[in-house]
Amino acid sequence: MDEGTGAAAVSLVVSLAVLAYGAAALDAGLGGARGAAGAPLREAARLLVQGRRRTLVPDTLLVRTGTVLLPLAALLAATVLPAGDRPVLDSGVGIVWFNAMEVCVWGALWLVGWGVNSVYPLIGGYRFLAQGLSYELPHMFALITVALGAGSLRIADVVAAQREVWFVVWMPVAFVVYLVSALAMAFWGPMGEPVGRNVAGGVPAELSGADRLVFAAGRYALLVVVAAAAVPLFLGGGAGPVLPGWAWTAVKTVAVLGGLVLVGQRVPAVRMDRFTEFAWVVLIPLTLLQTLVVAIVVLP
Amino acid sequence: MGVREWLLRQAALRPRPLVVGCPYGTRARLLVEAEADRRGWVAAAAPAEAGLLVVCGAAGSEIGQAVEVVWEAVPAPRVLVEAASDASAGAVRRALDDAVAELAAGGLDGGARHGDAGRPVAMAGRGRDRDGLTLDRLHVPLGPVLADWPAGLVVETVLQGDVIQEAVVRAASAGADGVSFWDPPRRDETDRDETDRDETERREAARCLDSLGRLLAVAGWPGAAREARRLRDRLLAGAAPAGLRRDCERFARRVRRSRVLRWMLRGVGPVEGRAGVPERLRGDALDRAYGWLDTLPSPLPDDPAPATQNGGSRHDGDPGGAGACGGGQRVDRVVGADGADGVVLGLLAGLLVGAESAVARLIVASLDPDLDRLPASAAVRRG
Repeated sequence: MDEGTGAAAVSLVVSLAVLAYGAAALDAGLGGARGAAGAPLREAARLLVQGRRRTLVPDTLLVRTGTVLLPLAALLAATVLPAGDRPVLDSGVGIVWFNAMEVCVWGALWLVGWGVNSVYPLIGGYRFLAQGLSYELPHMFALITVALGAGSLRIADVVAAQREVWFVVWMPVAFVVYLVSALAMAFWGPMGEPVGRNVAGGVPAELSGADRLVFAAGRYALLVVVAAAAVPLFLGGGAGPVLPGWAWTAVKTVAVLGGLVLVGQRVPAVRMDRFTEFAWVVLIPLTLLQTLVVAIVVLP
Repeated sequence: MGVREWLLRQAALRPRPLVVGCPYGTRARLLVEAEADRRGWVAAAAPAEAGLLVVCGAAGSEIGQAVEVVWEAVPAPRVLVEAASDASAGAVRRALDDAVAELAAGGLDGGARHGDAGRPVAMAGRGRDRDGLTLDRLHVPLGPVLADWPAGLVVETVLQGDVIQEAVVRAASAGADGVSFWDPPRRDETDRDETDRDETERREAARCLDSLGRLLAVAGWPGAAREARRLRDRLLAGAAPAGLRRDCERFARRVRRSRVLRWMLRGVGPVEGRAGVPERLRGDALDRAYGWLDTLPSPLPDDPAPATQNGGSRHDGDPGGAGACGGGQRVDRVVGADGADGVVLGLLAGLLVGAESAVARLIVASLDPDLDRLPASAAVRRG
């Protein structure tokens, strides 16, 4: 690891933390809390002094693993995203790596939901599995479309391929499907049934204190990462006039992130007993069509 | 000042209250919810998340036991607040102020570790589920302490996975006698005048907003749920001024416009129109929600604002309900008198069997029985 990579890693962690805090503050503000800018800080203080709740015979190892896995998966997924000119981890299979880290979230939620040995978290876990089965295939087809358009799984190549036209222009279906699945993988807003109030908070219902803080931070970090990934995948990465690349990346990331947070307050929850059918009958064929169109366009 | 003291003081500014509604405690619950909203507090969904347990009304023995169990699950620092059914707004404010001070000082048994009491998953034999899979059968009571849940309602369920296989619906015993908050105090029949009718309509609209707040919260639409509750509090605070009427109409339009809500509520908890089933319960959850929207005050005809009467798809339900609060044509009725709340208890068990947890919550919220209107003998229904 050379010096440049080290600096990039530090700036990655810092920007992830700053954006996650911003998302939490924006959500608190939209949620009617007063003094929204300091709200996440006060909530963190509350959780830091709060005692740890123990349920009857929990599988502590699984719960801790799942809880820590959440921010960890977000951080590892972020390593392949280029903030300036290059990412921390310039992998030749960056898109696959990103997808693999995101699938770790399935494991994390199920470990927590099952491990605490309580009804509502278990129901939350079931809900996320059903959600995963609904969003994952359209999501993967959307990612495949991007890789096909760029002719590479390396994210830097994807950005380079958008020098002329951003992918969002000629892959609108893939972009919209990506945004829906982005909400689903961060179990946010309308896709937040796994942590819904109607099951007493679902997966993290029995978490308190530091455990809950890590879980909540991980969720916001995930939201930031899925929003940030939309920038190199569909929105031309750091491309833009006047400002340097990193600034454009930041501006676009904040815009997508703000949109996702806003949707969380504006749209009712989507239940998988209705969405699964829509995902398989409408979204999968649509993304396949989109892939076909892209394949024909890039045909040499 | 140590770091811990500083953190405690910061934390006490925004505690997460878990509000427990008891029979005949509606008034206290409304005061607590309004005061919490005014302070910008976010309500907790689970005991582990909460720092403040607020019991509204007299708990009685059964709910009292449930509160004990929940209290054990609230991590320190924690404070228990009891708001009496007849508490004044000032008393509620003072009680919450005291709670904040206590939390800042470390709360009750601050820092102490709590016992292992909780809601463990008891492995209770297996059985075939609706898809023919063999799954564990879990016995899970819904209520009486649950966020966005009708006060005093208990549904004992047998769950397999996320699906309710059996349900027994009953009302928890009340700690005291009383009348429902939503039935305004009535004077002599002969003495009833315009003011009484206005008051009845105002309470009924506020009750519909309360139910809508609950339904929208359960439907996972926090923004709209908050708006419904704020409108409810404004409506209860005084007669409906023009601004409030316009805001109610805007809110109704916003809810009606949501396609996702239509998609999610259509066909949920269908109730057939049989004899003995009041008009306002018929249809599915969406029909009932739109029925509530119809009772909201709409702008008066002479209002300066451009009033497009109930824009969007208009609910074609019971004509008496539709215009009940609209300007001009007023309908004289006492809504609790149709016995709908008792009918709901009879219907619920049958509707809940076979439903997933999220659908079950929506069914309950869309019927939202007011158990304070039931006759003294609590009903038990099995399904």
